[in-house]
Amino acid sequence: MTGAGAAGGEGSAGARTGEVRSAAAARGPLALEAIGVGKDFRTGPGQVLHAVRDVSFSLYRGGVVALVGESGSGKSTAARLLAGQERLTTGLIRLNGEPVDLSARRAFRRYKSQVQLVFQDPFASLNPVHTVRYHLERPVRLQQGTRSRQPAGQEIVTLLEQVRLTPADQFIGKYPHELSGGQRQRVSFARALAARPSVLLADEPVSMLDVSIRLEMLSLLDDLRRRFQLAMLYITHDIASARYFADEVLVMYAGRIVERGPAEELTQRPAHPYTQLLVASAPDPDNLGGMLRGAGPPSHPGAGSGGQRLPQAGSAASAGCPFSPRCPLAEDRCRRENPAPQRVSAARSAACWRLDVAAPDVLAGQRGGEATAS
Amino acid sequence: MTDLREPASGPVLEIRDFSVAYRTQAGDVRAVDHVGIDMNRGEVVGLVGESGSGKSTLAYGAARLLRPPALITSGAVIYHGRRTERSADILRLTPDELKHLRWREIAMVFQSAMNALNPVLSVRSQLVDVIRVHLRVSRNEAEDRAAQLLDLVGIPRARLKSYPHELSGGMRQRVMIAMALATGPEIVIMDEPTTALDVVVQRDILAQIVELKEDLRFSILFITHDLSLLLELADRIAVMYAGKLLEIGSAQAIQHEASHPYTKGLLNSFPSLRGQRRELAGIPGSPPDLRNPPPGCPFLPRCGYGRDDCTRVSMTLAPVTGAAGLGHVTACPFVGPGTPAHPVPAGTEGVTS
Repeated sequence: MTGAGAAGGEGSAGARTGEVRSAAAARGPLALEAIGVGKDFRTGPGQVLHAVRDVSFSLYRGGVVALVGESGSGKSTAARLLAGQERLTTGLIRLNGEPVDLSARRAFRRYKSQVQLVFQDPFASLNPVHTVRYHLERPVRLQQGTRSRQPAGQEIVTLLEQVRLTPADQFIGKYPHELSGGQRQRVSFARALAARPSVLLADEPVSMLDVSIRLEMLSLLDDLRRRFQLAMLYITHDIASARYFADEVLVMYAGRIVERGPAEELTQRPAHPYTQLLVASAPDPDNLGGMLRGAGPPSHPGAGSGGQRLPQAGSAASAGCPFSPRCPLAEDRCRRENPAPQRVSAARSAACWRLDVAAPDVLAGQRGGEATAS
Repeated sequence: MTDLREPASGPVLEIRDFSVAYRTQAGDVRAVDHVGIDMNRGEVVGLVGESGSGKSTLAYGAARLLRPPALITSGAVIYHGRRTERSADILRLTPDELKHLRWREIAMVFQSAMNALNPVLSVRSQLVDVIRVHLRVSRNEAEDRAAQLLDLVGIPRARLKSYPHELSGGMRQRVMIAMALATGPEIVIMDEPTTALDVVVQRDILAQIVELKEDLRFSILFITHDLSLLLELADRIAVMYAGKLLEIGSAQAIQHEASHPYTKGLLNSFPSLRGQRRELAGIPGSPPDLRNPPPGCPFLPRCGYGRDDCTRVSMTLAPVTGAAGLGHVTACPFVGPGTPAHPVPAGTEGVTS
């Protein structure tokens, strides 16, 4: 593998991910790896929901990896697994090259101080009866250690300044209901930073905010990423924001990663039929009045039928490709056998049997012909 | 069902000088402040604004769906229906007349279908209910109509027996649309009908809405915070901020000749998937407190073009100078389409990576 020299441990992670080198790898050293991670939920007697299946990726210091998918695709479960909120059913997580075992309390604490999670809804994630100071004081004290006699106040002010809640003394005594949505989300960021993490998992951090504020928040996250060399996982349903914000994009469908690649390349020339559908469905301001003229993207089988319920993450534990019921290119093999990720270039792979039809241009651009041989 | 394919010109709804205040102990919150806009027959009017801008209050207020502490403090809402004999000011209707107007003439699609549908009634009984309350038809006729409505929105008839929790989010929203169309209304107010849905489903439902509109000839007031969606969907777009309309224009005019600094800022706020990567700026700051609105332009504190005169502008909509189309109006007398893009105030930078 060409990128094996980039960082320790890369090789083993890469071996399971269709042999690609993450576009985020150039940003800094390897921080967190998910290797063949899976999560099953028992939904009833003899019924199992495979929420996340065989997911592998790596986060690098200073790099942003976006996990894109629709609701029910398993992207939030993946974040909760990485954050240690859920136990893995299969697979392994490694932090700085060390396998992580969260069953011991101390190890769990140590892990949590390194890997922090930010939630989507800043109203639900802050306690309405406590002030900003209270929310930040506990993580700051935990970080300082119980024996520290140092007052937490100065540290809290620094945190608030880092998330641009200034002047800090104006915000420190406020309750969540006194803050706007954007300000509340900044407090969530500050709380995550209080532990001085190396990894930040952001689960739809801007989707609840107004459009005019989203960009500022993403720019703040970008600033924090650079300043603290954070390895960031950006979970979103908005593939356009991933294009701007992430180095690498992973597209998730029904619990699996179906395509991955550098953000710009993947969004401009999607290879997997699902990614193509996702990109074609995003609002397109340049397609003025397109819907009125009936000139939207060609209607898509499965998407257009309306009556059909969209698949939830791995609900039908069928052997075939999870996208095959909606895929216009599906053939017998797709319904029988789930495709493994195939490398389409040094940094891109897609899990599809019919890439030669779905994305001939992307395949043509690949280096050498070794990737097509399975 | 009355045929609505008759005359197809002139406004179907005129909102004039309309104001709504929320009466609180700390004083009135002027949620909608002297707003005027027309809706033409068969037109899709997009109303875009951030949360708290008053866009939903405007639409619900115009249909008189607000309850105290909301108070309509000024204005008129003139409805010109093809089935009604003469035009009527909705704000002056008696409760009986109002009952006839609602749903029969003006229907709504609410954002959260899960909350708007009754969880313990089947799709059939909810549709039949709506039809029988507003149209004088027999139970059998109503059942037939319910089945036809599901055909219309692309849901198999077998789903009549389903309960809301058995449907996906997209299907629930389709049921909501079917319900809104049940009585053949002239105007359908859609309040963020697809915001909670995935993009693939969203596009699919919007395409269906447009198709239905072409067939059934109703007008749509489409409320959303997503300007990028409106550029594709709407005929005309009205931009609302802090209870006031800042700019109205055709989708084309808004995209290519945006005049108001806020509209310019919004256009520069969403990352686009296609074309060149642009330098994005966003809009720093947050909207003003409407209990105590600043004098003049409410956007001034966040505006990159602000000047002293801005505290004294009257906030009336005037034609954009040099605009290609008539009907492109803006509340900002100082900045026009030609003024260079939103200058980024110090201390903020665009997203780059």
